[in-house]
Amino acid sequence: MQRRDFFKKIGSVTAVAAVMPVMSFAADAKPVSPNKMSYETALNAITNGKTPKKSNKVSLKVPEIAENGAVVPVTVNVESPMTENDYVKSIHVLNTKNGNSRCIDVNLTPANGKAMFSTRIKLGGTQDVVAVVELSNGEFLIASQNVKVTIGGCG
Amino acid sequence: MAERKSLIKIKPKRYKDGEIVKVSFMVMHPMDTGMGKDKKTKEIIPAKYINSVKFVYNGKEITNMTVWESLSVNPVFTTYMKINGKGNLTITYTDNTGEVHETTKKIKPKG
Repeated sequence: MQRRDFFKKIGSVTAVAAVMPVMSFAADAKPVSPNKMSYETALNAITNGKTPKKSNKVSLKVPEIAENGAVVPVTVNVESPMTENDYVKSIHVLNTKNGNSRCIDVNLTPANGKAMFSTRIKLGGTQDVVAVVELSNGEFLIASQNVKVTIGGCG
Repeated sequence: MAERKSLIKIKPKRYKDGEIVKVSFMVMHPMDTGMGKDKKTKEIIPAKYINSVKFVYNGKEITNMTVWESLSVNPVFTTYMKINGKGNLTITYTDNTGEVHETTKKIKPKG
């Protein structure tokens, strides 16, 4: 019996030793984004389960090759009369691979006169940039484009 | 002179009543995601990013934006706006740390 106990103790010690380095490695790993959200959940939260349509009315202007992922200019232009009955309610800019998939949600009103929005976003690597547009009649339109991020040269 | 934190630009500079103009709002803001590390001290920089931006023109809210941390450092927000008489355009941004900043520009249509 004594011999068995001895082996049991040895076993538990090695088990702890095996776990320890894993834990220390986990602490060194990249911190998780504070509001992490995958692309699918973000799209679901915006459209409430509806499937957005691809449309020519939405033009998304993003460079195909971005030299620096920290500054990627994005312009979303939507063809719309912007009257009280027919206007663009909101423009959402999403990405597919960043920690948090949502970049910005813009709520517009007819007082804007023109449905256009532009800003600069950060991209953590080669991925798609997606623009989701909500119209005043509840329809959703979508446009997307792939962006190659070539930081570090030799892209 | 105090450091300039934000700026409103209107294009074109001279505009008439009823014209649709381009409005750019530029902010000096670090937009830290809470994931980056300080290169010298190797410590994680706490998250500090803009939460929301509001455009108010003559007391009426034109545009409001919900912002997440994936925007670039010193972000720019550009939209269009219809000029509707004399007044003030006030743009407010709120930070996730509770910082609120307000900028006002006078709107004076000519002709």
